[in-house]
Amino acid sequence: MIEGLVLTHGAIGAELVKVVAMILGPVAGLAAETNEGRSALQTADVVATWLAGRAPGAEGLVFIDEHGGSCASAARLGGTEAAGVPVLSGVNLAMLLAFATWREDLPRAELVQRIVDQGRKAVAVVGAGR
Amino acid sequence: MKLVLARIDDRFIHGQVTVGWGQWLRPDLILLASDDIAEDPWQARVYASTAAPGTEVSVLSLGEAAAALRQVPGGDREPPRVILLTGSPADMHALMSLGVPLSRVNVGGMHFAAGKQQLLPSLYVDRDDLAVFRALLRQGVRLAAQTVPGAREVLLDDSLLASMEARL
Repeated sequence: MIEGLVLTHGAIGAELVKVVAMILGPVAGLAAETNEGRSALQTADVVATWLAGRAPGAEGLVFIDEHGGSCASAARLGGTEAAGVPVLSGVNLAMLLAFATWREDLPRAELVQRIVDQGRKAVAVVGAGR
Repeated sequence: MKLVLARIDDRFIHGQVTVGWGQWLRPDLILLASDDIAEDPWQARVYASTAAPGTEVSVLSLGEAAAALRQVPGGDREPPRVILLTGSPADMHALMSLGVPLSRVNVGGMHFAAGKQQLLPSLYVDRDDLAVFRALLRQGVRLAAQTVPGAREVLLDDSLLASMEARL
């Protein structure tokens, strides 16, 4: 089992997780947290708590919305590197759908690549702008 | 060095600084002044890694930061434009006590912690913070809370601090 944490500004993460559940049904082991109202170190504590609270033996992935920001700092300061948990920035709906869809079937390294590929594919010009 | 912004922000280097103020002020250098972070190279590296490409980051102790900021620019070259960040009013005041001339301080973000009360949406303070704000005001510093350029600026003056103190 690979568990996921979506750590974002404001309610972006919570809303994304909500929409994933609307599409796929409830997804166990996918949590959302925000940096809102928290200092960098307080947000890092949230990450550390999530890392410590994973099911025994569960691997992890952390999604953040922006590479250069307090969520990125907090994810690293919270101990993801020491725990060997990858941090993926630029989270979008496609990435979370990929996570929920393939996390049981792919080893984590392949899952990470699949998620990144799906996330990038989802950023496209559609309709009249093409 | 040319100080273009002195900011108190317990998130240090993040989007409001790198994107919000950074695009407005075009700093050459972000100087993060903190004894705790300066003595932890890994933490310093993490914060430095979040800056925008092209912006240099220095993480220095308060003493080192003060020494760097006290230097008088010389020569014909334009001095580097600097955003100075501290994580608390006490650290900003300490820099001033170490001889850094500050006329304006931006209070960007002080988040909730035990014993602190909300003064403004992104500003939680306790009596110690208020005492430092007062000390800065007495030294002629213009204190203003503003998260990003274009957001509402709130002057932290004696009357606002007094009203806050009454609530603590």
